[in-house]
Amino acid sequence: MTRADRLGGGRFRAGITAGVGLLILLLLWEVLARALSGQFLLAAPAEVLSWLNAQRGLMTRALIQTLANAAAGFLAGNLVAIALAGIAFVWPRTERPVTGLALLIFCLPLVATGPILRVLLGPGNGPQIWLAALAVYYTTLIPLLVGLRAAPASWLDLVRSHGRGRWAELIHIRARAALPYLFAGLQIAAPAAFLGAMVGEFTGAERGMGVLTIRFIRAMDVPAIWALASVAAAVSILAYASIGWLARAVLTEPPPVILAPPRAARARRWSGLRQMLMTGGLALLLWWAAMQALDLNRFFAKRPGDVFDALFLAPDAGAMRATLGSALLETAVYLLPGYLAGLALGAGLAALIVLVPPLAALAMPLAVALRSVPIVTTAPLIVLALGRGAAGTTALVAVMVFFPTFVACLHGLRQAPGQIMDVFDSHAAGRLSRLIHVRIPAMLPAFFAAARVSVPAAILAVTVVEWLATGRGIGSLMALSASISDYDMLWASVVVVAVLSVLCHAGVAALERRVLRRYAPEQEEP
Amino acid sequence: MQADTASAMPPEIVCAGLSKSFPGGLRVLPPLDLTLTGGQTTALVGPSGCGKSTLLRLIAGLEAPDTGRVTIGGESPATMQKRGAISMAFQDPSLLPWRTVRGNLALALKLAHQPADPGAVDRMIALVGLAGFEDARPAALSGGMRQRAAVARAMVTRPRLLLLDEPFGAVDELTRRQLAFDLPRLWETRGTTTLLVTHSVAEAVLLADRVLVLSPRPARVVADIPVTLPHPRRPAITQEAAFHDLADGIFSALMAGAGQVPAQTAP
Repeated sequence: MTRADRLGGGRFRAGITAGVGLLILLLLWEVLARALSGQFLLAAPAEVLSWLNAQRGLMTRALIQTLANAAAGFLAGNLVAIALAGIAFVWPRTERPVTGLALLIFCLPLVATGPILRVLLGPGNGPQIWLAALAVYYTTLIPLLVGLRAAPASWLDLVRSHGRGRWAELIHIRARAALPYLFAGLQIAAPAAFLGAMVGEFTGAERGMGVLTIRFIRAMDVPAIWALASVAAAVSILAYASIGWLARAVLTEPPPVILAPPRAARARRWSGLRQMLMTGGLALLLWWAAMQALDLNRFFAKRPGDVFDALFLAPDAGAMRATLGSALLETAVYLLPGYLAGLALGAGLAALIVLVPPLAALAMPLAVALRSVPIVTTAPLIVLALGRGAAGTTALVAVMVFFPTFVACLHGLRQAPGQIMDVFDSHAAGRLSRLIHVRIPAMLPAFFAAARVSVPAAILAVTVVEWLATGRGIGSLMALSASISDYDMLWASVVVVAVLSVLCHAGVAALERRVLRRYAPEQEEP
Repeated sequence: MQADTASAMPPEIVCAGLSKSFPGGLRVLPPLDLTLTGGQTTALVGPSGCGKSTLLRLIAGLEAPDTGRVTIGGESPATMQKRGAISMAFQDPSLLPWRTVRGNLALALKLAHQPADPGAVDRMIALVGLAGFEDARPAALSGGMRQRAAVARAMVTRPRLLLLDEPFGAVDELTRRQLAFDLPRLWETRGTTTLLVTHSVAEAVLLADRVLVLSPRPARVVADIPVTLPHPRRPAITQEAAFHDLADGIFSALMAGAGQVPAQTAP
């Protein structure tokens, strides 16, 4: 049997497994809805279908609008990511500033960038497309940078042994070798673009799924909210699956595990701090230059100096800092437990599936659905179910963090080196012992990669829930500031949230380096 | 340029005062002087990690020496690379997984700035015994078939210098013998200078006109043994006394180079 046969068989079985899992979930949903009927929480699948049938015209128009914006943003964001990866690869000196700036921009809270883009760009589809692009470009850029360096040295030696240089390497080897990584990034990007477009529609668009979501949340129309969530989930799952299908049709090799981008050079002492300061300075300069070049009104297009004034020099600066600080604290109380719970659940479920493989049938479709369902539609649902308190918010953050962690950990657990496993087999070691001694150490790099990427995702989740549902914390503060045109507060929140996200990301990365130095030295630079 | 390459005499390789250390100060090659006669097949034999592969990479121009220089027919490796005159087969087949066997060979022609020649590609695939697998991807081939494809890729550009770095390392003994009898016939007729790194003493005797035995790192030449067996060599040759005398001589030199006394001559 060739490898292709085995892969084909595995894919077929995986398809059946996913189908069975999906069926079980639908049944559970229906039973639960019937049990809870009368509490206005849960609409049964049958109810949702009849609502969709009655409103199919409205739904189709909204879906087409949102899909068009998401597709435009997907295209633009990914093209920018490919261009940035190209620049960082061709001029290695630019890699640190490019990835640093890209992370900073990715950490801007969509909840606040949406309204700001709306006043900058005016009515129309601009903000929706921008937000969709902002939601996707980072998760394509990072895998692509890894992929461009993933070619084995001997493939490059082949090119060099014929006297050819970097261009031939790029064209004949690296571009193609990076393709699986590009597809992995695009697959993550597809549901993200849909989510970005919907958030963009919240900021005052005329048509689209986001507009409908707001309307139905206000009306507490439970079947309508469930119908929106189902359609959004179905579209996102389809987009995720079809890119996966496309990748399998185009590629001959199995999908890669995406870890940290390889470091270009050995870091000197303080170089991390210097890089961070340089990136920060560059970001401030770009921000100021963009506002000046477009000659935007200072009232809503704040410059770095304006934000500094508002935070530290203005008469009411102290009150502003106090408001911001208490909002941040309120958010952190929900964010941290949710983030940690998501990581623990993701890693724990992955470990459980390795111990009890049949569980995968139920867990995989649920995990993909949770990943793909736009959080803007799940947020009201979870809050409906769990209330406006800590439980709902924490649960949503956990859901957002759970999926990337689960997938990465499962991949990491399953790729434990075969020869080491054989050694354990020869001692008749049990599954648990193999899990602890071989698989979990092998999983750590993937776990940390997921933990890093989950930082901005968790912050996005918590701010969206606070804005749409709970009315507390920094997300609500940003929404409130946008609605009363308090642009000082809005810009200050954006800056503070972005900087805190980047710092948390750097904190996780530092922890990662400490742990991996001990458990996976091969992940370190040579 | 093509005609010029094919008609020229096979190039002589001269290494003069060649030395190389790895970062961290590990000395791999001491200053080494070596001349390889044009048109001959030379086998480098030595213990693992002695610097054979490094020597090969220096001659291929994939790495720069710390001191000394390599000339190939009087030219630098870089110049010969640019003329498409060098080919190398690596320890691991290094076939591109997204290209078919035919596609991998075609890419070598393209990289060497040679015109696409589907006929030559298919003939070369048939010569290494892979007829019928032209459109197979590497994943669908066995380890031995991949090695054959990699050697075919190195030879399809009609190089004047062919460098083989343990190309049969992962092949079973039977296939290995078969390749050892087949391949020299391919390159004898072509005016190619061949340098082969191998662990197998038998392979060295079967393939080479001359065997250089290297000491453990840093590599010195401890024995320079001409292989006087006539070409073409047939499987029956492994039954002859001359074959075994040569193999024993190489083995003794290997042992002596490693500081051990061969068992049969011990008192």
